[in-house]
Amino acid sequence: MANFDITSNVRDGMGPHGTKVGLLRVLGPAHVWALGVGIVLVGEYMGWNFAVGKGGAYAALLACWFAGILYTCVAMIDSEVTSTVAAAGGQYTQAKHIVGPLMAFNVGLYLVFAYTMLEAANAITAGYLVSVVSNMTGYAGTLDQRPFIVLVIMFLAWLNYRGVLATLTFNLVITAVAFAAIIVLFLSTSGILGGGIMQHAALFEGHELPYGWIGVLAAMHFGLWYYLGIEGTTQAAEEVRSPARALPFGTLAGIMTLLIAATLTWYVCSGVLPWEFLGDGVSGSVAPLFDTARLSGSDALVWLLGIGTLFATLASANGCINDASRAWFAMGRDKYLPAWFGAVHPKYRTPYRSILFLVPIALIFALGAPLDQVITFSILSGLLEYTFMPLNIILFRKKWPMGVIKRGYEHPFHPLPAITLLALCAITFFAVFLGYGTQLVAMIGFYIVVSLWFHFRRYRFVDRGAQFTMPWPRPQGY
Amino acid sequence: MAHYKPPVQGKLSQLVDVIVLVALTVGALFVPLWLHMAGSSKTVPAPVASPTWEALGQNAAQAKQYEALGYTPESAHDLILSRFDYSFTFGALVTMIVVIIAYYVLMLKFSEAEYRDVIAEKFGEK
Amino acid sequence: MQTWNYIEYLAWGLSILLGLYMVVDWVRTDTTYPEDVLTSSREGELEAMTEETFKG
Repeated sequence: MANFDITSNVRDGMGPHGTKVGLLRVLGPAHVWALGVGIVLVGEYMGWNFAVGKGGAYAALLACWFAGILYTCVAMIDSEVTSTVAAAGGQYTQAKHIVGPLMAFNVGLYLVFAYTMLEAANAITAGYLVSVVSNMTGYAGTLDQRPFIVLVIMFLAWLNYRGVLATLTFNLVITAVAFAAIIVLFLSTSGILGGGIMQHAALFEGHELPYGWIGVLAAMHFGLWYYLGIEGTTQAAEEVRSPARALPFGTLAGIMTLLIAATLTWYVCSGVLPWEFLGDGVSGSVAPLFDTARLSGSDALVWLLGIGTLFATLASANGCINDASRAWFAMGRDKYLPAWFGAVHPKYRTPYRSILFLVPIALIFALGAPLDQVITFSILSGLLEYTFMPLNIILFRKKWPMGVIKRGYEHPFHPLPAITLLALCAITFFAVFLGYGTQLVAMIGFYIVVSLWFHFRRYRFVDRGAQFTMPWPRPQGY
Repeated sequence: MAHYKPPVQGKLSQLVDVIVLVALTVGALFVPLWLHMAGSSKTVPAPVASPTWEALGQNAAQAKQYEALGYTPESAHDLILSRFDYSFTFGALVTMIVVIIAYYVLMLKFSEAEYRDVIAEKFGEK
Repeated sequence: MQTWNYIEYLAWGLSILLGLYMVVDWVRTDTTYPEDVLTSSREGELEAMTEETFKG
């Protein structure tokens, strides 16, 4: 690779606007699926069970399905917009073209926040898993988890630095293993193969809805965790071979995979673990699928689910580094952030400065903050982003009605999904308010402060007309 | 509209911007922690003096799973009985709704003004 | 069980190595290539190329 001509315009990713070194277009639909599902699947291995704690097992199932509807809307809306606006940065670039610069800046920050926090949460969980393994193998002392947390972040950043194809192929393999582990656990404990150990009726007796119906609402907060991050598929837009086809396909296949995985996970865990234990993700069940395997009495299942949990955290952290760095890179390229971040590595063709910069940030969160705080910040940033999406699609259809521009995918029943999504977001805001209201207000306070900073200071460095890069006609009404 | 020519940002100025942003970010995460406002804590509203599985409201199947997980009624006491407090004041709810709606309205208004500039420069004045 | 203590050191060591690799490569890249090549990436190249082909 030493003597290739980086200014050659026959290489892909190059174009008429003067790109000499661009991101590499190498990914297929399977990578998109792996990116989307890989980030999210860890949610079935840990974290979703806080929903059980907030409202009981039935509430968690209802939250699982309502959040499933929410995310199906997200996936449909996202597929339409991103198959039309195919650029790194995903929702950030969409917002820039459809809503306006300040919204885009906020959306870009939601993305970086949600993913970097999630990456930190994954690294913390991976460190915890290593300490569990050390205890299982007879280590008597207290293992220092920090080197393993740091190693996870460093290794995955290195992988991302070296190129996107290897990164997402790695993700494809470990995500497939983690998903298969859930299926195997379901088949071998539900009674389909061999003896079943499910006892839902007996375990739910007397604890059907411990908080009443308000618990069902409250559970929506962590119901998001079953699927949080599926919208990240759009970040790969600039590296997919045919974005208009691969992105909708990968995203919609991803949400279907997750609906299955989430329901199976709820079924096996709630049929084995009592709800108080299952619902306490800090002092009770940190890794519910793993705990279910422990009670199955099969060593093979314990190992399989242990490996599945580890793989799921790695796949998720890996995808998060990929997505957060793409969003950060795209904002640098438009000078929403210092232009220095808009650089592409001439050999590996990755946004290497953004990847490097986010490493210490992730380390600060992973080593310095408690897990539930980190998860809540991730969920809140995600929630603000989902609230933006219906506004986005409504404006998109209004400014460029059907037929004006070519769309790779058109989602059905507009505006029903947008309205449904908005309503579910309102419910989730209320659910977060029950118990985490202070953080919600603190978080929005943060976004208001950075918005003012952007509007009055940062925006002066942004080229006005040039940031609109899509070859579309003038939007209607302007 | 005259074509807007953004100033080229120097290295030092770029660095300052990054530091500001990182400081704000870390602040948003850690200030609530320092002020002890973070996290929703569960409490045990009705403790049981000498807990048995029955007193903790557990039937035979539930007790069996707890024992399989390595718990005794004593060690499981706090885990089983702790609850969230979902009571809230009407004022707090209204505050939250106002803050969220104000945030999005602000966002859309500023964005709209900036967006009109972008479109005018990209496609020319009508 | 000293093994786990060695594994801890191993993890620290590997982290430092990987970090060093990235930092060294970053500095080398930044000094080898001019800044305008590194930051030459533009959004929407695919769309622009599709347009040019249409006009062809």
